[in-house]
Amino acid sequence: MTRGNAPAAIASLVLASPVVIGAAYSGLAAVGAVGAGADGLSGAALVHVLTSSVTWQGVAWTVATAGVATFLATAAAVVVAVRVRGSRTGRLLAVLPMGVPHVAAALAALLMLGQSGLLSRLARLAGLTAIPSDFPALVYDQAGVALVIASAWKEFPYLALTALAVLLTDAARLEEVARTLGATSTQAFWRITWPRVWLGTAPAALAAFAFLLGQYEMPALLAPSNPTALALLTYERSIDPMLARRAEAHVLALLALVISASIVILYARLQHRGQSESA
Amino acid sequence: MTRHRQRWWLAGVALWTLVPIAALVVRALARAWRYPQILPGAGDAWPMFGAAATGRLTEALMTSLVLAMAIGPASAVIGFTIGRAIARAPRPARRVGLALALFLVIAPPTALGVGLQVATLAIGVGGTLFGVFLAHLVPAAGYLTLFAVGIFTTFDFVLEEEARTLGARPWQVWSRITIPILRRRLAEAVVLGALVSWGQVALTLLIGGGVVRTLPVELLSFVRSGSDQLGALAALAVSVPPMLAIGLLQVGIRRTGATL
Repeated sequence: MTRGNAPAAIASLVLASPVVIGAAYSGLAAVGAVGAGADGLSGAALVHVLTSSVTWQGVAWTVATAGVATFLATAAAVVVAVRVRGSRTGRLLAVLPMGVPHVAAALAALLMLGQSGLLSRLARLAGLTAIPSDFPALVYDQAGVALVIASAWKEFPYLALTALAVLLTDAARLEEVARTLGATSTQAFWRITWPRVWLGTAPAALAAFAFLLGQYEMPALLAPSNPTALALLTYERSIDPMLARRAEAHVLALLALVISASIVILYARLQHRGQSESA
Repeated sequence: MTRHRQRWWLAGVALWTLVPIAALVVRALARAWRYPQILPGAGDAWPMFGAAATGRLTEALMTSLVLAMAIGPASAVIGFTIGRAIARAPRPARRVGLALALFLVIAPPTALGVGLQVATLAIGVGGTLFGVFLAHLVPAAGYLTLFAVGIFTTFDFVLEEEARTLGARPWQVWSRITIPILRRRLAEAVVLGALVSWGQVALTLLIGGGVVRTLPVELLSFVRSGSDQLGALAALAVSVPPMLAIGLLQVGIRRTGATL
């Protein structure tokens, strides 16, 4: 290790230590070596969790809802950032939901999208429904509609802020150069602005996706119990009165950490590629 | 784009961002909001809270405030110390440090909490405010390390070196050069760290074991027990400080002449 690397290595170790300790413990608990209900080394919990359809259905459902929400939020953020970039009010409005914590956003989604929520009342006013049960179930539903919309609403400001930052600095200057070289406004937008904004927002979209994968409070208020979101499944197992099942929480936690670590590696590669291209 | 079309876009963005917040305000202020009313009736317009519920909310608010006020400065110190070391490192070490900080930010709180739960129990702080403080410190330190790396990447270290060559001791360099230059950024970092703690739910539940009741935890509990009005009130209480912080940040940015 070079002299310049030493402080950074120590700093990184300090930073990572809580996760390393936690993950190491989870690793030992997953094979029954330590923890509540541990009765000697055994791969039973590991095998049970990794071969269970509940686990993989939960993982697939979590990835799908987080993926759709991220896609919707990114698309909306890019379009809105392009449309309102010239307006201070528009920029402020776009970033406002950032201040609302996820748990509060989940309650707002319940009030808006529940079967007796505001949308259902508007549908009745418009003569489309007569009673709450006529309105489609968007909350606790298997498709996770309310969860997807609430997640998109919550991630939208963060992605809009990123898209606006790209638009108001880098892209604006290049667009101006293209216009002076004779490009029409449509050509300048599609050939210069759009690729820059899309590329600039991609790492933030990946981070938003990773964040949604690990979200607990929104699924806790909006998601169905079958399939069970990965975060809910992990929490339920970790407080299970049957101590033997708590080892499963550690297996699920390790699974979630592996997924997050893969996304971090992907994110780092994406950033590195972006930096290499702009250099 | 015509001004008329931009107005439509602004109206659309306002509808998307403000209506859910308005729904929380209406629900918090109305004793009842019966189907199919679009707005509560005049007779239901004023909230009525029992002493027990108000006590729970106040206590949770105080717990959240104490945690946020402790996490803000603590995570700022940790984040700036680690961020400085990472920012000054050669590129490979820097990339590893940044990836680790990002990992702390995006790692699922339940996955982090399951491991941390046992660690806090082992050192005897599980189910205590101090245990929750230590748990919140993990993601907050990750956020502030990323924040600090960004700052120290453009920081002019020559000023510190000049002070040292003029005979300043390390603590004098910190107190007379580094901290005054970074004063504003440090203040922003304290606010950011406090906000990270302010919104935590899963870590608080796992490490606090239901004993440490913060505002978001009470909110979850109110909604699950069907007390939507109290939940909405808690949601507003938990949303106002971050929204004010964003507003203040916007004012600050505008004063500096920045564009966003």
